[in-house]
Amino acid sequence: MTTLHVVSHSPFADDRLQSCIRLLRPEDGLLLCGNAVEALRDGTKPRALLDEAAAASRSIYALDEDLAARALAGLPEWLRAVDYAGFVELSCQYQRVNGWT
Amino acid sequence: MKFTIAVFGAPHAPGTRRALRFAQAALAGGHEIVRVFLYREAVQTASANLVSPQDETDMGRAWQRFVADNQIDAVVCIAAALRRGVLDTGEAQRYQRPAANLAAGWALSGLGQLHEAAQQCDRLVCFGDQ
Repeated sequence: MTTLHVVSHSPFADDRLQSCIRLLRPEDGLLLCGNAVEALRDGTKPRALLDEAAAASRSIYALDEDLAARALAGLPEWLRAVDYAGFVELSCQYQRVNGWT
Repeated sequence: MKFTIAVFGAPHAPGTRRALRFAQAALAGGHEIVRVFLYREAVQTASANLVSPQDETDMGRAWQRFVADNQIDAVVCIAAALRRGVLDTGEAQRYQRPAANLAAGWALSGLGQLHEAAQQCDRLVCFGDQ
């Protein structure tokens, strides 16, 4: 069963993202939203973890409004930004949605 | 695709707004929402007594409008609601409280409604407080 993991907590506040990346399989997807997009900040440890996951062909997405709200620069090429319609599409594309609430 | 949407965070939490935008996008994309279920702090979103600051979105009102406009099956966990003072007329009478404040469009019911909706839908999507 393919899973879309949705993480919204800041990677600097707890280790949800780290745990999620550890569980992420090649056929799964990871959607960053809310404060979790801070993980994309260049030069940080969470970003290095994401770069590593992307290099291991994991699919990583981010909610575009949250990227815009934080004016994040230096976004990686592997990142796929989605709007809410895209979020819904991803929920259909993967067989289940696991929110790391 | 049939969706069930579960919301756990307070009315003003980012996750509650995201849940609403997701629900709107799901309907706009031609999908069906089997049920919206409010649990834990999210039950306060169904209170008719919420007052938001003028420069903030009134999330309670926004959800109420969405539920009414689209005739969504909108359920509030009764145990979580009672402990947070969200009562319908029946519960206000039963516990002899001075007022009922459950907003129109929402229904108090048990956690079993979340389980049932999870069985009936293709995707259960949960939104927390963040």
